[in-house]
Amino acid sequence: MRKFIFIILAYGVFILLLLEIIVRTLHLHKETPLRMIDERGVERWMPNQSGISVTGNRKQNFSEYRINNRGYNSYREYEPIMDSLEIAIIGDSFIEGFHQHYYNSLGKMVENDLSGIQVYEYGYGGYDLADQLHLIYAYPEEFSKIDRIVVYLKYPEDLKRGKYNVIRDRVRLQSGIYPYLKKSKLLVYAQNIGLLDAVKGFVKNAVNTLRGNSRSGVTTTTKKSEDLDQIYLENFKSLIAEYGFDKNKSVFLLDKSSLPDAFQEYLDNQDYAYIDYGEILEKAEDDVILLYDPMSHWNDLGRTLIANQIADWCRNQFK
Amino acid sequence: MLFNSLAYFIFLPVVFCVYWLIGSKRLKAQNFFLLLASYTFYGWWDFRFLSLIFLSTLVDFVVGRKMAALENRKIKWQWLWVSILFNLSMLGFFKYYNFFVDSFIASFLSDNACTSTVWSLNIILPVGISFYTFQTLSYSLDIYKNKLKPTRDFLAFATFVSFFPQLVAGPIERAKNLLPQITSGRTFNYIQALSGTKLILWGLFKKVVIADSLALMVDDIFLNFQDYSGSTLALGLLFFSFQIYGDFSGYTDIAIGTAKLFGIELMSNFKFPYFSRNISEFWQRWHVSLSTWFRDYLYIPLGGSKSKKTIALRNIFIVFLVSGFWHGANWTFIIWGGIHACLYIPVFLLARNRSYVGSQLGDGPWLENIRDLVMVLITFILVTLSWAYFRAETLGLANEYIWSLFNNFYFEWYQHPNGYRMLDYFVLLLVFLIYEFVIRKNERNPVPFSSRWVRLGVYTLMILGLLLFYDSNTNLSFIYFQF
Repeated sequence: MRKFIFIILAYGVFILLLLEIIVRTLHLHKETPLRMIDERGVERWMPNQSGISVTGNRKQNFSEYRINNRGYNSYREYEPIMDSLEIAIIGDSFIEGFHQHYYNSLGKMVENDLSGIQVYEYGYGGYDLADQLHLIYAYPEEFSKIDRIVVYLKYPEDLKRGKYNVIRDRVRLQSGIYPYLKKSKLLVYAQNIGLLDAVKGFVKNAVNTLRGNSRSGVTTTTKKSEDLDQIYLENFKSLIAEYGFDKNKSVFLLDKSSLPDAFQEYLDNQDYAYIDYGEILEKAEDDVILLYDPMSHWNDLGRTLIANQIADWCRNQFK
Repeated sequence: MLFNSLAYFIFLPVVFCVYWLIGSKRLKAQNFFLLLASYTFYGWWDFRFLSLIFLSTLVDFVVGRKMAALENRKIKWQWLWVSILFNLSMLGFFKYYNFFVDSFIASFLSDNACTSTVWSLNIILPVGISFYTFQTLSYSLDIYKNKLKPTRDFLAFATFVSFFPQLVAGPIERAKNLLPQITSGRTFNYIQALSGTKLILWGLFKKVVIADSLALMVDDIFLNFQDYSGSTLALGLLFFSFQIYGDFSGYTDIAIGTAKLFGIELMSNFKFPYFSRNISEFWQRWHVSLSTWFRDYLYIPLGGSKSKKTIALRNIFIVFLVSGFWHGANWTFIIWGGIHACLYIPVFLLARNRSYVGSQLGDGPWLENIRDLVMVLITFILVTLSWAYFRAETLGLANEYIWSLFNNFYFEWYQHPNGYRMLDYFVLLLVFLIYEFVIRKNERNPVPFSSRWVRLGVYTLMILGLLLFYDSNTNLSFIYFQF
C-alpha cells in the first residue's frame, strides 16, 4: 500500500509539473496586473505594467494590456493640458477593456473618430459610481483640465452604495502567501476557470460549521424591487451631493432600457445628460457581445457602435 | 455524494486509508466500516432513504434464509413472492405511482387536471432505487433457483446491498459475484489498485470532458428544437449519444475503479457499445449488467428463444418494453424500448444475434473491416435516432423532434447562445473516438500502453482535458441517478 501511495504521489507531482509547463507554454492562464491604493484613496493598477489577459478555459479570448503611468489600461500616457481638447471615459471593466487589445479600445475608437481630440480611459474592473465620482473628486487638478467626462453607469450594479470608502480586500490579496501562490501559473489557471471555487466553498462551510455558525443564524431580508430602486436613487443623489457632478461637461453613458421610470424621470428633471447605448446595440444586426465571455463585454462591433455615439455627442459639444 | 464532487475526493482517500488500516484480518470490522462508509455516502443525499435500503436488505436477507431452510417448493415460491412484492412495491410506489395514476386518469376520466391534483403525490425518487432493488431481487431469485447459497452474515449482506461504488447507478451486481468477495478476506493488491486509479481517471474524463461539456449544447438544442434546422437537430442527437455514453460509462468506470481500490472486482457494464455492428451486439456492450439481468430473470424464465418463434418474439418485446420502463416512468422510455425491440427482431430472425460474440471491430482482414465499419455506422445512426425518445420530456416532443429532423433538413452552422467554440467539441469527439478505438480490446484497461512515458503522457493529457473542459456552472449530477 505504501508503494501505491508513493507511486500515486510521484505521478501526481510529475503530472502537476508537466501541466505547469503546458499552462505556461500555451499561456492558458490570465495575467492580472498589481493593484494599489494611492495616497488619495483611489484604487487603480500600479503604473507601467503589461501582460496578457485570457478568458475561458481554452484561451477563447486573449489580448495584451498595457497599464500606463497613471495606472489605467491605455496605449497612451495622460497629460491633460488646458490648451488641447481632452475627453475622459470613466468606468469599470467595460471601459478598462482587458478583453481587447489596448490599441483597439473604446477610447481609441472614439479618438480615431474625432481628429485632434485626446481620449483618456479611466477604466478599472469593479469600479462603481462611487469609485468613479470619487476619482474625479480626488484629482481635481487633472479633471479640471479635461474638457468632457463620460461616466459609464451600469444600473443597478453601480449604485449599490451611497458613499465611497476604500475597500482593501483585493489589494490585501497581493500580500502574505498570495504572491507566492500566484507564481504557479497552473494554480492561477485553476482559479481562473473556477476550479478552486468548490475548494473555497468547502473550506468556508467547514469553518462555519466548526465555529457553529449554522444557517439558521443568518437573517436574510428581501426587499421589493421598488424599494431597491428607491435605495439606488438615494445612493445616486447622495454620491452626487458628496462628490459633485459638473453637468456642463459630464455625461452618463448608460443603457436607458435598464433604468426604472423613476430614475430616468429624475435624470431628465435634473437635466443630467446621458448617452443611451442600449438602443443602438439592440438594433445591431450582428452580435455585439464578445463570444466565450461570461461577463458579456462588448465585442469590436459593440464598441464601435458605442464609440460612434460618444463621438457624435462630443462633436455636438465642441461645435 | 457525487463521484465528481469535492466531498467525494476527500471521502474516498479517507475511507481507502482507514479500510486498509483495519486490514483484512479483521474482516468483520472491515465490512462494518465499509457499510458505514456506504451509508454515509448514500445518506449524503438524503439520510431518510437509508431506511429503504435497510428494509430491502432485511427483507431479502430473511427471505433468503427462509428459502434455504425450506424443502417445500411451494412455500419457497411464496417466500420468493414476498421478496418480489416488497421490492417491486417499493419501486412501484416511489418511481411509478404518479405515472400509473396520471395514465389512468388520462385514459379513463374526463376532468384530468382536477383529479390529477387529488391523486398524484409529491414523491421524491430515492437515488438508485432501481439499481439496489434489482440487486437484492437477484439474490432471492438465485437462492430460489438453487444457484446460490444464502449468507448467514447479515453484515456482509448489508455491505453487498449498499456497497457504495455501485449503489446508486450500478453495475447491478449479482450476489454470486460480489457477495463472496465481501464474505472472504481481501488483501491489498498493488496492480489492482493502480488499475482502479486509471479507471477512476478515465471515468472522470468521460464524465467531465465528454458528457458535461456536450450537455450544454444538448440542453439548448432539445429545449429550442423548434427554432433549429434538421442538421442542428441531428447534431443534438449525436451529442446526446456521446453525452449519455460519457455520463453513464464514466460513472461505471469510476465505480469499478473505486471498487478495485477496496480489493473488489465489479462486473463490466460498457464494452465500447458504439463500435457495435448490429443492435444485438450493442446490447451485449451497453449497460451489460441490466441487459444480462433481464436475460437471466425475465427473458429465460419466459421461455427465451428455445420455444416457438412467436413466443420468442413476444419475449423479446416484453424484455425491451420492461427494460425501457425500468429507465423511467414515462411513455418515452417505453417507446424507446419498443424501438429497440423492433430493431432487434430482424437481427434475431436472421439469426445474426450472436454473430459478433467474442469478436471486435477491426479484428478481421481489411475488407471485412470496411464492411464492419459500415455496419457500425448504421447501428450507430439507429441507436442515435432512438435516443430522441430517451432524451425528450414527452412523447409528443420526441415525435416532433424526429419529424422536424427529417422534414426541416437543411444545413445550418450551429452556434450555442453562449458562444462556445464548436470546433473544440468536434475535435474533442474525434480524439475521443480514435482513443476508444485504440483501447477497444479491454474496457477495464483504459491506458494499455507498456511504455511508462506514454502512460504518463496520457494521464497528463486526460487531466489537461479535465481542466480545458471543466465548467464550474455545470450540473454535476449523473443522468442515470434519475432512474
